[in-house]
Amino acid sequence: MEFAELIKTPRVDGVVLHRPFMPTVEGTLCLTGHHLILSSRQDNTEELWLLHSNIDSIEKRFVGSLGSIIVKCKDLRVIQLDIPGMEECLNIASSIEALSTLDLVSLMYPFFYRPMFEVLEDGWNLFLPEDTFKDLESMTDEWRLSDVNKDFSVCPSYPPLVAVPKDIDDDTLRKLATFRHGGRFPVLSYYHKNNGMVMMRSGQPLTATNGRRCKEDEKLINATLRPGKRGYIIDTRTISVAQQAKARGGGFESEANYPQWRRIHKSIERANVLQESLIKLVEACNDQSHSMDRWLSKLEASSWQTHVKEILTTACLAAQCIDREGASVLVHGTEGTDSTLQVTSLAQIILDPSCRTIRGFQGLVEREWLQAGHPFQQRCAQSAFSNNKPRQEAPAFLLFLDCVWQILRQFPCSFEFSESFLVLLFEHAYASQFGTFLGNSAAERAKLSLPEKTVSLWSWVNRPQELEHLTNPLYEANSLVIWPSVAPQSLLLWEGVFLRWNRSSKCLDEAYEEMVHIIEYNKELQNRVNSLRRQLAQLETEDPLLQTP
Amino acid sequence: MLPKRLDILLQVQLSGHMLLFSLYSEIHNGVCVCVCRISGSSGTLTLKCKDLRVLQLDIPGMEQCLNIAHSIETLSCLDRVSETYPFFYRPPDLSLQEPWGLSSPEKYFNHTKELHGSWRLSSVNREYSVCPSYTTAVIVPKDVNDDMLVKVAKFRQGGRFPVLCYYHQKNGVVIMRSSQPLTGANRKRCREDELLLQAVIDTSDKGYIIDTRSSQQAQQARMTGGGFESKSCYNNWKRLHRQMERGKALQESLIKLVEACGDESHNMDRWLSKLENSKWLSHVQTALSTAGLLAECVERDGHSVLVHGSEGTDSTLLISTLAQLIMDPRCRTVEGFLALLEREWVQAGHPFQQRCAHSAYSHTRLQQESPVFLLLLDCVWQLWRQFPLALGFSETLLLRLATEAYASDYGTFLCNSDQERCLLEVKKKTHCLFQALLRPKEREIYSNPLYEHTELAIWPSVHPQSLQLWKGFFLRWTKQTRHLEEAQEEIRNMVIEWGRLVLS
Repeated sequence: MEFAELIKTPRVDGVVLHRPFMPTVEGTLCLTGHHLILSSRQDNTEELWLLHSNIDSIEKRFVGSLGSIIVKCKDLRVIQLDIPGMEECLNIASSIEALSTLDLVSLMYPFFYRPMFEVLEDGWNLFLPEDTFKDLESMTDEWRLSDVNKDFSVCPSYPPLVAVPKDIDDDTLRKLATFRHGGRFPVLSYYHKNNGMVMMRSGQPLTATNGRRCKEDEKLINATLRPGKRGYIIDTRTISVAQQAKARGGGFESEANYPQWRRIHKSIERANVLQESLIKLVEACNDQSHSMDRWLSKLEASSWQTHVKEILTTACLAAQCIDREGASVLVHGTEGTDSTLQVTSLAQIILDPSCRTIRGFQGLVEREWLQAGHPFQQRCAQSAFSNNKPRQEAPAFLLFLDCVWQILRQFPCSFEFSESFLVLLFEHAYASQFGTFLGNSAAERAKLSLPEKTVSLWSWVNRPQELEHLTNPLYEANSLVIWPSVAPQSLLLWEGVFLRWNRSSKCLDEAYEEMVHIIEYNKELQNRVNSLRRQLAQLETEDPLLQTP
Repeated sequence: MLPKRLDILLQVQLSGHMLLFSLYSEIHNGVCVCVCRISGSSGTLTLKCKDLRVLQLDIPGMEQCLNIAHSIETLSCLDRVSETYPFFYRPPDLSLQEPWGLSSPEKYFNHTKELHGSWRLSSVNREYSVCPSYTTAVIVPKDVNDDMLVKVAKFRQGGRFPVLCYYHQKNGVVIMRSSQPLTGANRKRCREDELLLQAVIDTSDKGYIIDTRSSQQAQQARMTGGGFESKSCYNNWKRLHRQMERGKALQESLIKLVEACGDESHNMDRWLSKLENSKWLSHVQTALSTAGLLAECVERDGHSVLVHGSEGTDSTLLISTLAQLIMDPRCRTVEGFLALLEREWVQAGHPFQQRCAHSAYSHTRLQQESPVFLLLLDCVWQLWRQFPLALGFSETLLLRLATEAYASDYGTFLCNSDQERCLLEVKKKTHCLFQALLRPKEREIYSNPLYEHTELAIWPSVHPQSLQLWKGFFLRWTKQTRHLEEAQEEIRNMVIEWGRLVLS
């Protein structure tokens, strides 16, 4: 298929662009296979380059022969294009609609994007499971890296290499994979080096109504416990939801069969509920009525903050079991690809200082989201403005980022990265020139040959000029476990994402820059003082007369 | 939570009275409610403070506990102002001879040379006989003599005749404030009042009157002797009504908000609906948008404005202060802000003693309490949050002021008016908070390291989405703010070190 077939009108002159808090721009609108471009052809004005895949929905309005297209983006931006000529406007609108809803992954922009920068480190090779495992090996010999899934046949959503208890062989794994939802048998997610406790994740056990058992499953789970120790199974569903799951073949670990494990049920919402919550929240944020009561009740009705609180609470629980109780933990919900990953990844942010660095956080996203099989393509196909019926969409990853932001806000000195890094990840998860978030699993990514055909987001991020924007100037490495407050009063709306386009951030940005400037100048001066001190010391040793008597 | 310092202080108090007064400053003044629970032979004392802190003291011995509770209760609600702590507070590094206060109508008049053409300083109130809640000197139009002022005062509630509170340098337009005219049900008129207001707009074609009540409320006020400026009698003035909450409603709103903030049920929906029910943020929004309207009339339309509500001592001051912060860069430094507060609140006759007698925890029946000043500080905080570079002071100063207004070592917020302060010789017998805050060591703590002077007006966004709960104050004593304080401390240290390095 040629993109040209979809582009009915490639170019319109005299188009006026309206963006909130920015002057209007008049210029030429061009449609390419992947971009909507508006250029004023003047040197000092910024051009608009919008990825079609970033467009969530469009609306058309006509006043006489002047048409307006309102473009609502997945990053929650809303812009308006005034296009002279009814036919041009209709053509542009239908072209955008066609181009922004392409289903075929291989037609996506990352496959056409060629980097204009020098790749210092190839992001595709940065976080390979075998390298991550080397760190684990230096701490413990109780685990091994199994390649049982090397052709993705045991579990289609797992990577080829996974860490499992040393005593469990591949045949056992094959058997117990049939006992877990989607073949997601329990694998190692995190090793807490302070006390040797571990966090594992999996899909739900397929016990069904007749209480099916699987000896191998019980063996694996027990193999992760030290002698005499107990463990916790954190089920992200309420007990009633877990009970109901039995009717559809799912279920949970019964006390009788897993006597050394205590099951705790939490209630993290999933899929459709979350998507609707996001839609309501964004609708509330864009409400133009000046009523405080209405805003607060809409915010409440969206339940978004409740979801943030539930996820953070569950993550704190998992972290507490590990760090305070000295117990190992297994986390799962139904499929083990959404709420499970929210909990395991946030617990690591709380427990492991290395996850709070820029590189460490990339590793965490890579390990616990991309390789762990969060179906990004399905979940991020639509954002809050889409009029289509949601299918598999859910802002699970955005909620995770929101939770990280809450922790970052509560511990402003403990993270190497700033809020902008989180916002950047949100944007790229929904629309990107990079291949990182394409596909739903390691298997799909391998099939699409993403490492060969696309550029990794990490290759771009890990260059000094980008890192500069993403670094938190207040960072001071903190080797402690950080316990966020989950009281409703402590959790705020993430303005940086949800109110980003409804407020002028000029003053806030200026203040931030000023702060960065002060900090840099401070460093510079400190260096100078140090070098002067060194010089002085040297002079003193060279010239005994200078020495104080 | 048992703070060690207080524990020690209490022990000391039991063994002698040497530290009675330091304990006094620490607790009595600021205690709102004291709850005593006895179990077995030991008792627990819960002190709920006006600055929203909640302290718990475990005291061995039932009798001792009851005695202490009784003493604290008596000491914390002493009625006589001259017995309060500021009259006994004598820190070694402050002298009573030091000048008191930063600003006054006289100083403002003398500094603002542009006023001298058509305005004058009147001392008609030198005996406080014309208006008990005004200062001795006030700024009025030159063409209005003292006899006329006396007549106008009789026509305004509490004698608060229109006086100048702000001169806008850019276009020579002024803000006046007063109380409501006493037109009553039979639409009484006052020729002098009309002449005074006419003299304000002078040659320009019109002025605005911003009434902080809804037009319905203003109508109703006529039944009780109050009223508003009718179109027919003040034909060059356009009246704008904006309903602002006052008095009891505001106090109840604060009580509800603080109750919500202390809610430990860990339920997000409940928190958000309680926050909404308290209406506090709506009050913040109304105050900021009315102040924005006032500033727009002055800065954008270029017309003089008279502001009043009923008494002219609460919402009137709230919006005239905020409007000045929005428009006038001189009010945005530490000194400028404190001087503004002194002129527009202390000297303008905000009855601090009545309004701040109790804070959010008190069970006693509400009388004149109302957190108007706290609402002002909250609004200023919103401005500070939206314009982090434009204000020369930091959140710390706002927090300090919020605490001091309710319980203080200093005399600044004592009494209800200049007259009362004069009677008790507050300026001779107590120390001035504003002067103390400007000492170099203190000033360093309260200034904003990011401050950059800007001549521009700072127009706040009053969209509900742009306004936030003032966590620094309302959630100050909860754990989660600690880390934020650390971060701010970090920035501050860096700036201080920077300053030192630049000097060396």
